[in-house]
Amino acid sequence: MTPETGDALLLSLRVAVLATLLNAILGVPLAWALARRRFPGRAVVDLLVTVPLILPPTVTGYYLIVLFGRRGWLGAPLYQLTGWSVAFTWYAAVLAATIMALPLLVRTAKAAFESVDRDLERAAYTLGRSELRTALEVTLPLARNGILAGLVLAFARALGEFGATLMLAGNIPGKTATVPLAIYTAVQTGEDTAALVLVGILTVLSCLVIVAANRLGARAT
Amino acid sequence: MSDRLEVAVSVRVPGFDLDVAWSAGGGVAVLFGPSGAGKTLTLQCLAGLITPNAGRIVVDGRVLFDSASGVNVPAQARRVGYVFQGYALFPHLTVAENVGFGLRDLPQARRAEKTTTVLEQLGLGGLDRRHPRELSGGQRQRVALGRALAIDPALLLLDEPLSALDAPLRRALRDELRALLSTVGTAAVVVTHDFTEAYRLGDRIVVYDAGRVVQSAPRSELLWQPASESVARIMGIRNVLHGTVVKATPDRIQLRWRGQLLEAVNSPTRSYLPAADSPIAFFIRPEYVRLIRKDRGNADPSHHMNLMEGVVVGEEDFGTTWSLRMRLSEPGTPAQGDYDLEVEVPHLVYEILEIERDRRWEFSIHRGSIHVLPA
Repeated sequence: MTPETGDALLLSLRVAVLATLLNAILGVPLAWALARRRFPGRAVVDLLVTVPLILPPTVTGYYLIVLFGRRGWLGAPLYQLTGWSVAFTWYAAVLAATIMALPLLVRTAKAAFESVDRDLERAAYTLGRSELRTALEVTLPLARNGILAGLVLAFARALGEFGATLMLAGNIPGKTATVPLAIYTAVQTGEDTAALVLVGILTVLSCLVIVAANRLGARAT
Repeated sequence: MSDRLEVAVSVRVPGFDLDVAWSAGGGVAVLFGPSGAGKTLTLQCLAGLITPNAGRIVVDGRVLFDSASGVNVPAQARRVGYVFQGYALFPHLTVAENVGFGLRDLPQARRAEKTTTVLEQLGLGGLDRRHPRELSGGQRQRVALGRALAIDPALLLLDEPLSALDAPLRRALRDELRALLSTVGTAAVVVTHDFTEAYRLGDRIVVYDAGRVVQSAPRSELLWQPASESVARIMGIRNVLHGTVVKATPDRIQLRWRGQLLEAVNSPTRSYLPAADSPIAFFIRPEYVRLIRKDRGNADPSHHMNLMEGVVVGEEDFGTTWSLRMRLSEPGTPAQGDYDLEVEVPHLVYEILEIERDRRWEFSIHRGSIHVLPA
Protein backbone atom coordinates (compact mmCIF):
# COMPACT_ATOMS: atom_id res chain seq x y z
CA MET A 1 0.00 0.00 0.00
CA THR A 2 1.43 3.40 -0.99
CA PRO A 3 1.41 6.32 1.43
CA GLU A 4 -1.32 7.96 -0.70
CA THR A 5 -3.72 5.02 -0.39
CA GLY A 6 -3.03 4.82 3.32
CA ASP A 7 -3.73 8.53 3.72
CA ALA A 8 -6.93 8.24 1.73
CA LEU A 9 -8.11 5.33 3.84
CA LEU A 10 -7.41 7.04 7.15
CA LEU A 11 -9.00 10.26 5.96
CA SER A 12 -12.08 8.44 4.71
CA LEU A 13 -12.51 6.63 8.03
CA ARG A 14 -12.05 9.85 9.98
CA VAL A 15 -14.55 11.70 7.76
CA ALA A 16 -17.10 8.88 7.86
CA VAL A 17 -16.87 8.46 11.63
CA LEU A 18 -17.24 12.20 12.27
CA ALA A 19 -20.09 12.50 9.76
CA THR A 20 -21.86 9.56 11.44
CA LEU A 21 -21.36 11.20 14.83
CA LEU A 22 -22.81 14.46 13.54
CA ASN A 23 -25.71 12.49 12.07
CA ALA A 24 -26.40 10.99 15.48
CA ILE A 25 -26.23 14.36 17.23
CA LEU A 26 -28.26 16.32 14.67
CA GLY A 27 -30.25 13.66 12.87
CA VAL A 28 -31.73 11.65 15.74
CA PRO A 29 -33.42 14.60 17.49
CA LEU A 30 -34.52 15.88 14.08
CA ALA A 31 -36.01 12.50 13.19
CA TRP A 32 -37.83 12.41 16.54
CA ALA A 33 -39.23 15.91 16.00
CA LEU A 34 -40.38 15.02 12.49
CA ALA A 35 -42.01 11.83 13.75
CA ARG A 36 -43.67 13.19 16.88
CA ARG A 37 -44.05 16.96 16.83
CA ARG A 38 -46.20 19.27 14.78
CA PHE A 39 -44.35 22.54 14.24
CA PRO A 40 -44.48 25.26 11.62
CA GLY A 41 -42.19 24.60 8.69
CA ARG A 42 -42.12 20.87 9.41
CA ALA A 43 -42.81 19.94 5.79
CA VAL A 44 -40.05 22.29 4.59
CA VAL A 45 -37.51 20.82 7.03
CA ASP A 46 -38.50 17.31 5.94
CA LEU A 47 -38.02 18.31 2.30
CA LEU A 48 -34.65 20.02 2.88
CA VAL A 49 -33.27 17.05 4.78
CA THR A 50 -34.49 14.53 2.21
CA VAL A 51 -33.63 16.32 -1.01
CA PRO A 52 -29.88 15.39 -1.10
CA LEU A 53 -31.07 11.80 -1.51
CA ILE A 54 -32.69 12.69 -4.84
CA LEU A 55 -30.48 15.47 -6.21
CA PRO A 56 -27.30 14.65 -8.11
CA PRO A 57 -24.50 14.94 -5.48
CA THR A 58 -22.83 17.66 -7.56
CA VAL A 59 -25.96 19.78 -7.27
CA THR A 60 -25.97 19.33 -3.49
CA GLY A 61 -22.26 20.19 -3.59
CA TYR A 62 -23.05 23.33 -5.54
CA TYR A 63 -25.57 24.44 -2.91
CA LEU A 64 -22.98 23.73 -0.20
CA ILE A 65 -20.56 26.05 -2.02
CA VAL A 66 -23.28 28.69 -2.25
CA LEU A 67 -23.78 28.38 1.50
CA PHE A 68 -20.31 27.65 2.86
CA GLY A 69 -17.89 28.75 0.11
CA ARG A 70 -15.55 31.66 0.75
CA ARG A 71 -18.11 33.94 -0.92
CA GLY A 72 -21.11 31.93 0.33
CA TRP A 73 -24.04 33.19 2.37
CA LEU A 74 -22.61 31.79 5.57
CA GLY A 75 -19.05 31.34 4.37
CA ALA A 76 -18.43 35.03 3.49
CA PRO A 77 -19.24 36.49 6.93
CA LEU A 78 -17.24 33.68 8.53
CA TYR A 79 -14.25 34.41 6.27
CA GLN A 80 -14.44 38.14 7.00
CA LEU A 81 -14.60 37.47 10.72
CA THR A 82 -11.91 34.80 11.03
CA GLY A 83 -10.04 34.69 7.74
CA TRP A 84 -10.86 30.98 7.60
CA SER A 85 -13.07 29.14 5.16
CA VAL A 86 -14.26 25.56 5.37
CA ALA A 87 -13.95 25.08 1.61
CA PHE A 88 -11.04 22.86 0.48
CA THR A 89 -10.30 21.65 4.02
CA TRP A 90 -10.99 18.15 5.32
CA TYR A 91 -13.78 19.70 7.41
CA ALA A 92 -15.55 20.35 4.12
CA ALA A 93 -15.40 16.63 3.40
CA VAL A 94 -17.04 15.99 6.78
CA LEU A 95 -19.70 18.61 6.06
CA ALA A 96 -20.47 17.21 2.62
CA ALA A 97 -20.59 13.63 3.90
CA THR A 98 -22.84 14.67 6.80
CA ILE A 99 -25.36 16.40 4.56
CA MET A 100 -25.36 13.54 2.07
CA ALA A 101 -25.81 10.87 4.77
CA LEU A 102 -28.44 12.77 6.78
CA PRO A 103 -31.48 11.75 4.70
CA LEU A 104 -30.68 8.06 5.14
CA LEU A 105 -30.36 8.38 8.91
CA VAL A 106 -33.33 10.72 9.33
CA ARG A 107 -35.67 8.62 7.21
CA THR A 108 -34.72 5.36 8.93
CA ALA A 109 -34.79 6.83 12.42
CA LYS A 110 -38.07 8.64 11.75
CA ALA A 111 -39.68 5.37 10.67
CA ALA A 112 -38.29 3.71 13.80
CA PHE A 113 -39.74 6.44 16.04
CA GLU A 114 -43.07 6.25 14.24
CA SER A 115 -43.26 2.51 14.77
CA VAL A 116 -43.20 2.96 18.56
CA ASP A 117 -46.76 2.48 19.87
CA ARG A 118 -48.07 5.91 20.90
CA ASP A 119 -49.94 4.32 23.80
CA LEU A 120 -46.55 3.59 25.38
CA GLU A 121 -45.76 7.31 25.36
CA ARG A 122 -49.25 8.15 26.60
CA ALA A 123 -48.78 5.63 29.41
CA ALA A 124 -45.53 7.37 30.37
CA TYR A 125 -47.30 10.75 30.45
CA THR A 126 -50.01 9.45 32.79
CA LEU A 127 -47.23 8.04 34.98
CA GLY A 128 -45.73 11.50 35.39
CA ARG A 129 -43.06 11.65 32.67
CA SER A 130 -42.54 14.83 30.69
CA GLU A 131 -42.40 14.71 26.93
CA LEU A 132 -38.59 14.88 26.92
CA ARG A 133 -38.15 12.20 29.59
CA THR A 134 -40.64 9.99 27.73
CA ALA A 135 -38.68 10.41 24.51
CA LEU A 136 -35.45 9.46 26.31
CA GLU A 137 -36.79 6.63 28.49
CA VAL A 138 -39.41 5.05 26.23
CA THR A 139 -39.29 6.12 22.60
CA LEU A 140 -35.51 6.19 22.11
CA PRO A 141 -34.74 2.76 23.62
CA LEU A 142 -37.57 1.19 21.63
CA ALA A 143 -36.43 2.82 18.38
CA ARG A 144 -32.80 1.94 19.09
CA ASN A 145 -32.28 -0.79 16.50
CA GLY A 146 -33.84 1.26 13.74
CA ILE A 147 -31.66 4.22 14.67
CA LEU A 148 -28.53 2.06 14.72
CA ALA A 149 -29.44 0.64 11.31
CA GLY A 150 -29.83 4.22 10.08
CA LEU A 151 -26.42 5.16 11.48
CA VAL A 152 -24.82 2.18 9.75
CA LEU A 153 -26.36 3.28 6.46
CA ALA A 154 -25.24 6.86 7.11
CA PHE A 155 -21.70 5.63 7.78
CA ALA A 156 -21.69 3.70 4.49
CA ARG A 157 -23.01 6.69 2.60
CA ALA A 158 -20.41 8.98 4.19
CA LEU A 159 -17.65 6.52 3.35
CA GLY A 160 -18.66 6.43 -0.30
CA GLU A 161 -19.40 10.12 -0.79
CA PHE A 162 -17.85 11.54 -3.96
CA GLY A 163 -19.69 14.30 -5.82
CA ALA A 164 -20.52 16.78 -3.08
CA THR A 165 -17.11 16.25 -1.45
CA LEU A 166 -15.36 16.97 -4.73
CA MET A 167 -17.34 20.21 -5.13
CA LEU A 168 -16.82 21.60 -1.63
CA ALA A 169 -13.55 20.02 -0.50
CA GLY A 170 -11.77 19.41 -3.77
CA ASN A 171 -9.44 16.51 -4.42
CA ILE A 172 -6.24 17.39 -2.59
CA PRO A 173 -4.10 14.27 -1.99
CA GLY A 174 -3.39 13.74 1.69
CA LYS A 175 -5.79 16.54 2.64
CA THR A 176 -9.24 16.08 1.15
CA ALA A 177 -8.81 13.11 -1.17
CA THR A 178 -11.00 10.43 0.44
CA VAL A 179 -11.00 6.85 -0.89
CA PRO A 180 -13.61 7.40 -3.64
CA LEU A 181 -11.69 10.47 -4.87
CA ALA A 182 -8.38 8.63 -4.65
CA ILE A 183 -9.86 5.79 -6.72
CA TYR A 184 -10.92 8.29 -9.37
CA THR A 185 -7.44 9.85 -9.44
CA ALA A 186 -5.74 6.46 -9.53
CA VAL A 187 -7.82 5.32 -12.50
CA GLN A 188 -7.27 8.62 -14.31
CA THR A 189 -3.50 8.40 -13.85
CA GLY A 190 -3.25 4.68 -14.63
CA GLU A 191 -2.27 3.49 -11.13
CA ASP A 192 -4.23 0.27 -11.52
CA THR A 193 -2.90 -1.49 -8.42
CA ALA A 194 -3.74 1.39 -6.10
CA ALA A 195 -7.24 1.61 -7.60
CA LEU A 196 -7.78 -2.13 -7.18
CA VAL A 197 -6.70 -2.10 -3.52
CA LEU A 198 -9.01 0.79 -2.65
CA VAL A 199 -11.91 -0.65 -4.61
CA GLY A 200 -11.46 -3.96 -2.80
CA ILE A 201 -11.37 -2.33 0.61
CA LEU A 202 -14.45 -0.23 -0.07
CA THR A 203 -16.36 -3.23 -1.44
CA VAL A 204 -15.61 -5.34 1.64
CA LEU A 205 -16.55 -2.48 3.98
CA SER A 206 -19.81 -1.90 2.13
CA CYS A 207 -20.74 -5.58 2.29
CA LEU A 208 -20.05 -5.63 6.03
CA VAL A 209 -22.28 -2.59 6.42
CA ILE A 210 -25.15 -4.31 4.62
CA VAL A 211 -24.81 -7.37 6.86
CA ALA A 212 -24.78 -5.18 9.97
CA ALA A 213 -27.77 -3.16 8.82
CA ASN A 214 -29.75 -6.31 8.00
CA ARG A 215 -29.01 -7.80 11.42
CA LEU A 216 -30.14 -4.64 13.18
CA GLY A 217 -33.19 -4.42 10.95
CA ALA A 218 -34.15 -8.02 11.72
CA ARG A 219 -33.87 -7.41 15.44
CA ALA A 220 -35.90 -4.21 15.19
CA THR A 221 -39.01 -6.03 13.93
CA MET B 1 -73.95 10.20 47.70
CA SER B 2 -72.78 13.10 45.64
CA ASP B 3 -71.13 12.48 42.30
CA ARG B 4 -67.44 11.72 42.47
CA LEU B 5 -66.96 12.13 38.79
CA GLU B 6 -68.40 14.85 36.59
CA VAL B 7 -67.59 14.79 32.92
CA ALA B 8 -68.65 17.21 30.23
CA VAL B 9 -66.46 17.34 27.17
CA SER B 10 -66.79 18.34 23.59
CA VAL B 11 -64.04 17.44 21.18
CA ARG B 12 -63.92 18.21 17.49
CA VAL B 13 -61.52 16.11 15.45
CA PRO B 14 -61.65 15.78 11.65
CA GLY B 15 -64.62 13.60 10.78
CA PHE B 16 -65.79 13.14 14.35
CA ASP B 17 -67.65 15.13 16.92
CA LEU B 18 -67.69 14.10 20.56
CA ASP B 19 -70.16 15.88 22.77
CA VAL B 20 -70.92 14.13 26.04
CA ALA B 21 -71.89 14.90 29.61
CA TRP B 22 -72.40 12.38 32.38
CA SER B 23 -71.62 11.89 36.02
CA ALA B 24 -71.07 8.94 38.31
CA GLY B 25 -70.98 8.22 42.01
CA GLY B 26 -68.41 5.91 43.53
CA GLY B 27 -67.68 2.54 42.01
CA VAL B 28 -67.35 1.66 38.40
CA ALA B 29 -68.84 3.58 35.50
CA VAL B 30 -68.84 1.71 32.22
CA LEU B 31 -68.80 3.50 28.89
CA PHE B 32 -70.63 1.13 26.60
CA GLY B 33 -71.32 1.39 22.90
CA PRO B 34 -70.18 0.37 19.43
CA SER B 35 -66.60 0.99 18.33
CA GLY B 36 -66.07 4.49 17.02
CA ALA B 37 -68.62 5.98 19.43
CA GLY B 38 -66.04 8.14 21.24
CA LYS B 39 -65.43 6.04 24.36
CA THR B 40 -61.64 5.95 24.13
CA LEU B 41 -61.55 9.63 23.20
CA THR B 42 -63.43 10.34 26.44
CA LEU B 43 -60.85 8.39 28.44
CA GLN B 44 -58.06 10.36 26.78
CA CYS B 45 -59.78 13.61 27.79
CA LEU B 46 -60.07 12.35 31.37
CA ALA B 47 -56.39 11.43 31.42
CA GLY B 48 -55.35 14.77 29.93
CA LEU B 49 -53.89 13.18 26.80
CA ILE B 50 -56.28 15.20 24.66
CA THR B 51 -57.45 18.72 25.39
CA PRO B 52 -61.19 19.04 24.76
CA ASN B 53 -62.41 22.07 22.82
CA ALA B 54 -64.73 22.81 25.72
CA GLY B 55 -66.00 21.21 28.88
CA ARG B 56 -65.33 20.49 32.53
CA ILE B 57 -63.89 17.47 34.29
CA VAL B 58 -64.11 17.12 38.08
CA VAL B 59 -62.85 14.15 40.10
CA ASP B 60 -63.71 14.09 43.81
CA GLY B 61 -64.10 17.86 43.83
CA ARG B 62 -60.74 18.42 42.11
CA VAL B 63 -61.12 20.31 38.84
CA LEU B 64 -58.88 18.71 36.21
CA PHE B 65 -60.21 20.65 33.28
CA ASP B 66 -62.48 23.63 32.91
CA SER B 67 -62.52 25.53 29.65
CA ALA B 68 -64.53 28.37 31.23
CA SER B 69 -61.88 29.18 33.85
CA GLY B 70 -58.90 28.00 31.78
CA VAL B 71 -57.94 25.11 34.07
CA ASN B 72 -56.12 22.26 32.35
CA VAL B 73 -54.08 20.05 34.67
CA PRO B 74 -51.40 18.29 32.55
CA ALA B 75 -51.60 14.51 32.22
CA GLN B 76 -48.43 14.16 34.32
CA ALA B 77 -50.07 15.83 37.32
CA ARG B 78 -53.56 14.31 37.15
CA ARG B 79 -52.85 11.08 39.05
CA VAL B 80 -55.09 9.16 36.70
CA GLY B 81 -54.22 5.47 36.29
CA TYR B 82 -54.74 4.35 32.71
CA VAL B 83 -54.93 0.73 31.59
CA PHE B 84 -54.62 0.91 27.82
CA GLN B 85 -56.25 -1.39 25.33
CA GLY B 86 -53.54 -3.97 24.65
CA TYR B 87 -51.99 -2.81 27.97
CA ALA B 88 -49.10 -0.73 26.54
CA LEU B 89 -46.55 -2.33 28.85
CA PHE B 90 -43.01 -1.07 28.28
CA PRO B 91 -41.46 -4.00 26.40
CA HIS B 92 -37.89 -3.01 27.28
CA LEU B 93 -38.55 -2.97 31.02
CA THR B 94 -39.13 -5.76 33.52
CA VAL B 95 -42.42 -6.30 35.33
CA ALA B 96 -41.06 -4.55 38.43
CA GLU B 97 -39.74 -1.63 36.37
CA ASN B 98 -43.10 -1.32 34.63
CA VAL B 99 -45.02 -1.26 37.91
CA GLY B 100 -42.53 1.13 39.49
CA PHE B 101 -42.41 3.44 36.47
CA GLY B 102 -44.77 5.99 37.98
CA LEU B 103 -42.94 6.06 41.32
CA ARG B 104 -39.80 7.85 40.19
CA ASP B 105 -40.21 10.62 42.75
CA LEU B 106 -40.09 8.17 45.64
CA PRO B 107 -36.74 7.25 47.23
CA GLN B 108 -35.33 3.97 45.92
CA ALA B 109 -36.27 1.94 49.00
CA ARG B 110 -39.85 3.24 49.17
CA ARG B 111 -40.28 2.60 45.46
CA ALA B 112 -39.11 -1.00 45.74
CA GLU B 113 -41.36 -1.54 48.75
CA LYS B 114 -44.41 -0.11 47.00
CA THR B 115 -43.70 -2.13 43.84
CA THR B 116 -43.48 -5.33 45.87
CA THR B 117 -46.74 -4.55 47.66
CA VAL B 118 -48.58 -4.01 44.37
CA LEU B 119 -47.08 -7.14 42.78
CA GLU B 120 -48.17 -9.21 45.79
CA GLN B 121 -51.63 -7.68 45.80
CA LEU B 122 -52.11 -8.69 42.17
CA GLY B 123 -50.64 -12.16 42.55
CA LEU B 124 -47.60 -11.31 40.45
CA GLY B 125 -45.02 -12.20 43.10
CA GLY B 126 -41.97 -13.90 41.59
CA LEU B 127 -42.52 -12.42 38.15
CA ASP B 128 -40.82 -9.12 38.92
CA ARG B 129 -37.77 -9.77 36.70
CA ARG B 130 -39.67 -11.07 33.68
CA HIS B 131 -40.26 -8.98 30.60
CA PRO B 132 -43.79 -8.40 29.27
CA ARG B 133 -43.23 -10.73 26.30
CA GLU B 134 -42.62 -13.60 28.74
CA LEU B 135 -46.03 -13.20 30.39
CA SER B 136 -49.44 -14.69 29.64
CA GLY B 137 -52.31 -12.43 28.59
CA GLY B 138 -53.82 -12.50 32.05
CA GLN B 139 -50.52 -11.64 33.70
CA ARG B 140 -49.99 -8.73 31.31
CA GLN B 141 -53.38 -7.37 32.21
CA ARG B 142 -52.50 -7.52 35.89
CA VAL B 143 -49.15 -5.81 35.33
CA ALA B 144 -50.95 -3.02 33.47
CA LEU B 145 -53.40 -2.72 36.36
CA GLY B 146 -50.57 -2.78 38.86
CA ARG B 147 -48.68 -0.05 37.04
CA ALA B 148 -51.81 2.13 37.07
CA LEU B 149 -52.62 1.35 40.71
CA ALA B 150 -49.07 1.92 41.97
CA ILE B 151 -49.45 5.69 41.66
CA ASP B 152 -52.46 5.60 44.03
CA PRO B 153 -54.67 7.08 41.35
CA ALA B 154 -57.56 9.39 42.08
CA LEU B 155 -59.29 7.81 39.10
CA LEU B 156 -58.70 4.56 37.25
CA LEU B 157 -59.37 4.26 33.50
CA LEU B 158 -59.57 0.91 31.75
CA ASP B 159 -59.92 0.70 27.96
CA GLU B 160 -61.33 -2.65 26.84
CA PRO B 161 -59.38 -4.37 29.63
CA LEU B 162 -60.46 -7.86 28.56
CA SER B 163 -60.53 -7.65 24.77
CA ALA B 164 -56.96 -8.91 24.34
CA LEU B 165 -57.78 -12.19 26.09
CA ASP B 166 -59.18 -15.53 24.92
CA ALA B 167 -62.86 -16.16 25.63
CA PRO B 168 -62.55 -18.60 28.58
CA LEU B 169 -59.92 -16.45 30.28
CA ARG B 170 -61.97 -13.35 29.64
CA ARG B 171 -64.86 -14.65 31.74
CA ALA B 172 -62.64 -15.61 34.63
CA LEU B 173 -60.74 -12.33 34.57
CA ARG B 174 -63.92 -10.31 34.25
CA ASP B 175 -65.07 -11.49 37.65
CA GLU B 176 -61.57 -11.18 39.08
CA LEU B 177 -61.41 -7.61 37.78
CA ARG B 178 -64.79 -6.83 39.31
CA ALA B 179 -63.63 -8.08 42.69
CA LEU B 180 -60.37 -6.16 42.42
CA LEU B 181 -62.08 -2.89 41.49
CA SER B 182 -64.42 -3.14 44.43
CA THR B 183 -61.53 -3.97 46.80
CA VAL B 184 -59.44 -1.04 45.59
CA GLY B 185 -62.39 1.33 45.88
CA THR B 186 -60.94 3.88 43.47
CA ALA B 187 -63.51 5.49 41.19
CA ALA B 188 -63.08 3.76 37.83
CA VAL B 189 -64.23 4.22 34.26
CA VAL B 190 -64.22 1.12 32.05
CA VAL B 191 -64.71 1.15 28.29
CA THR B 192 -66.27 -1.85 26.60
CA HIS B 193 -68.41 -2.74 23.59
CA ASP B 194 -69.59 -6.01 25.16
CA PHE B 195 -72.83 -5.71 27.09
CA THR B 196 -72.22 -8.70 29.36
CA GLU B 197 -68.90 -7.16 30.33
CA ALA B 198 -70.54 -3.77 30.88
CA TYR B 199 -73.21 -5.35 33.07
CA ARG B 200 -70.77 -7.45 35.10
CA LEU B 201 -68.27 -4.66 35.72
CA GLY B 202 -70.36 -1.51 35.94
CA ASP B 203 -72.40 0.01 38.71
CA ARG B 204 -73.49 2.63 36.24
CA ILE B 205 -73.58 2.20 32.49
CA VAL B 206 -73.22 5.15 30.14
CA VAL B 207 -74.35 4.22 26.63
CA TYR B 208 -72.46 5.92 23.81
CA ASP B 209 -73.50 6.18 20.20
CA ALA B 210 -71.84 8.29 17.51
CA GLY B 211 -70.21 10.73 19.92
CA ARG B 212 -73.27 11.24 22.13
CA VAL B 213 -74.56 9.75 25.38
CA VAL B 214 -77.88 8.08 24.63
CA GLN B 215 -78.48 6.85 28.18
CA SER B 216 -76.76 6.90 31.53
CA ALA B 217 -78.30 4.73 34.21
CA PRO B 218 -77.59 2.23 36.99
CA ARG B 219 -76.98 -1.10 35.30
CA SER B 220 -80.24 -2.82 36.34
CA GLU B 221 -82.28 0.13 35.17
CA LEU B 222 -80.54 0.03 31.81
CA LEU B 223 -81.15 -3.69 31.47
CA TRP B 224 -84.90 -3.39 31.93
CA GLN B 225 -85.56 0.14 30.77
CA PRO B 226 -83.47 1.13 27.80
CA ALA B 227 -84.30 4.73 27.09
CA SER B 228 -85.00 4.26 23.41
CA GLU B 229 -85.07 1.85 20.54
CA SER B 230 -81.53 2.81 19.52
CA VAL B 231 -80.23 2.02 23.03
CA ALA B 232 -81.99 -1.35 22.87
CA ARG B 233 -80.33 -2.07 19.53
CA ILE B 234 -76.87 -1.04 20.79
CA MET B 235 -77.39 -3.37 23.75
CA GLY B 236 -78.11 -6.16 21.29
CA ILE B 237 -81.62 -6.74 22.62
CA ARG B 238 -83.56 -9.18 20.45
CA ASN B 239 -87.22 -8.97 19.44
CA VAL B 240 -87.36 -5.20 19.17
CA LEU B 241 -90.79 -4.76 17.57
CA HIS B 242 -93.09 -2.03 16.33
CA GLY B 243 -96.80 -1.74 17.09
CA THR B 244 -99.55 0.83 17.47
CA VAL B 245 -100.78 2.29 20.74
CA VAL B 246 -104.37 1.45 21.61
CA LYS B 247 -104.55 2.98 25.06
CA ALA B 248 -101.92 4.20 27.53
CA THR B 249 -102.42 4.72 31.26
CA PRO B 250 -99.70 5.33 33.90
CA ASP B 251 -99.52 1.60 34.70
CA ARG B 252 -100.62 -0.17 31.51
CA ILE B 253 -100.13 0.25 27.80
CA GLN B 254 -102.33 -1.61 25.35
CA LEU B 255 -100.94 -1.98 21.89
CA ARG B 256 -101.74 -3.68 18.63
CA TRP B 257 -99.13 -5.77 16.86
CA ARG B 258 -99.51 -8.30 14.05
CA GLY B 259 -103.27 -8.54 14.64
CA GLN B 260 -102.81 -9.15 18.39
CA LEU B 261 -103.97 -6.93 21.20
CA LEU B 262 -101.08 -6.94 23.69
CA GLU B 263 -100.95 -5.53 27.17
CA ALA B 264 -97.72 -4.22 28.63
CA VAL B 265 -96.79 -2.75 31.99
CA ASN B 266 -96.04 0.93 31.75
CA SER B 267 -92.88 1.93 33.50
CA PRO B 268 -93.56 3.00 37.08
CA THR B 269 -90.61 5.43 37.12
CA ARG B 270 -91.27 7.16 33.84
CA SER B 271 -94.90 7.76 32.97
CA TYR B 272 -94.75 7.39 29.24
CA LEU B 273 -98.19 8.22 27.82
CA PRO B 274 -98.19 8.11 24.03
CA ALA B 275 -101.41 9.10 22.23
CA ALA B 276 -103.70 6.42 20.87
CA ASP B 277 -102.86 5.24 17.33
CA SER B 278 -99.26 6.50 17.59
CA PRO B 279 -96.47 4.07 16.66
CA ILE B 280 -94.67 2.41 19.56
CA ALA B 281 -91.52 0.29 19.84
CA PHE B 282 -91.23 -2.45 22.40
CA PHE B 283 -89.17 -5.55 23.10
CA ILE B 284 -89.79 -9.02 24.38
CA ARG B 285 -86.84 -11.01 25.77
CA PRO B 286 -86.73 -14.40 24.01
CA GLU B 287 -86.30 -16.24 27.31
CA TYR B 288 -89.49 -14.69 28.75
CA VAL B 289 -91.86 -16.21 26.21
CA ARG B 290 -93.78 -19.16 27.76
CA LEU B 291 -94.73 -22.08 25.55
CA ILE B 292 -97.99 -23.62 26.80
CA ARG B 293 -97.97 -27.35 27.55
CA LYS B 294 -100.58 -29.31 25.66
CA ASP B 295 -100.95 -32.03 28.28
CA ARG B 296 -102.56 -29.72 30.84
CA GLY B 297 -105.79 -28.82 29.03
CA ASN B 298 -106.57 -25.81 26.94
CA ALA B 299 -104.88 -22.49 27.45
CA ASP B 300 -106.91 -20.13 29.55
CA PRO B 301 -106.81 -16.49 28.46
CA SER B 302 -107.60 -15.38 32.01
CA HIS B 303 -104.41 -17.10 33.24
CA HIS B 304 -102.29 -16.68 30.19
CA MET B 305 -101.77 -13.07 29.28
CA ASN B 306 -101.06 -12.02 25.73
CA LEU B 307 -101.89 -15.43 24.32
CA MET B 308 -100.77 -16.13 20.75
CA GLU B 309 -100.30 -19.06 18.43
CA GLY B 310 -97.58 -19.79 15.91
CA VAL B 311 -95.32 -22.24 14.13
CA VAL B 312 -91.62 -22.88 14.54
CA VAL B 313 -90.09 -21.90 11.22
CA GLY B 314 -86.44 -22.11 12.26
CA GLU B 315 -84.27 -23.09 15.17
CA GLU B 316 -80.67 -22.89 16.34
CA ASP B 317 -78.87 -24.91 18.97
CA PHE B 318 -76.78 -22.76 21.33
CA GLY B 319 -75.52 -25.65 23.42
CA THR B 320 -77.52 -25.07 26.57
CA THR B 321 -80.52 -23.38 24.95
CA TRP B 322 -82.46 -23.57 21.73
CA SER B 323 -83.44 -20.43 19.88
CA LEU B 324 -86.74 -20.90 18.05
CA ARG B 325 -88.02 -18.57 15.36
CA MET B 326 -91.82 -18.48 15.58
CA ARG B 327 -94.21 -17.22 12.96
CA LEU B 328 -97.67 -16.21 14.16
CA SER B 329 -100.67 -17.88 12.61
CA GLU B 330 -101.78 -14.56 11.21
CA PRO B 331 -101.97 -13.29 7.67
CA GLY B 332 -99.59 -10.51 6.68
CA THR B 333 -95.82 -10.03 6.60
CA PRO B 334 -93.92 -11.43 9.61
CA ALA B 335 -92.32 -8.79 11.83
CA GLN B 336 -88.69 -9.95 11.50
CA GLY B 337 -88.18 -11.27 7.98
CA ASP B 338 -89.60 -14.79 7.86
CA TYR B 339 -90.57 -14.91 11.54
CA ASP B 340 -92.28 -12.78 14.19
CA LEU B 341 -90.66 -13.69 17.47
CA GLU B 342 -87.48 -15.30 18.70
CA VAL B 343 -88.14 -17.65 21.62
CA GLU B 344 -85.43 -19.17 23.76
CA VAL B 345 -85.97 -22.44 25.63
CA PRO B 346 -83.54 -24.47 27.72
CA HIS B 347 -82.50 -27.85 26.23
CA LEU B 348 -84.47 -29.70 28.88
CA VAL B 349 -87.70 -27.93 27.97
CA TYR B 350 -87.01 -28.53 24.27
CA GLU B 351 -86.71 -32.26 24.97
CA ILE B 352 -89.68 -32.60 27.37
CA LEU B 353 -92.02 -30.74 25.00
CA GLU B 354 -90.63 -32.68 22.01
CA ILE B 355 -90.35 -29.47 20.02
CA GLU B 356 -88.29 -31.28 17.40
CA ARG B 357 -91.45 -33.17 16.40
CA ASP B 358 -94.20 -30.74 17.38
CA ARG B 359 -93.94 -27.41 15.58
CA ARG B 360 -97.22 -25.61 16.37
CA TRP B 361 -97.46 -23.93 19.76
CA GLU B 362 -99.51 -21.56 21.78
CA PHE B 363 -97.48 -19.19 23.89
CA SER B 364 -98.06 -16.32 26.27
CA ILE B 365 -96.06 -13.37 27.47
CA HIS B 366 -96.59 -11.82 30.86
CA ARG B 367 -97.43 -8.13 30.60
CA GLY B 368 -94.36 -7.38 32.75
CA SER B 369 -92.18 -8.93 30.06
CA ILE B 370 -93.26 -6.61 27.28
CA HIS B 371 -91.08 -3.54 27.60
CA VAL B 372 -92.11 -0.40 25.80
CA LEU B 373 -89.40 1.84 24.41
CA PRO B 374 -90.09 5.58 24.53
CA ALA B 375 -89.78 7.24 21.16
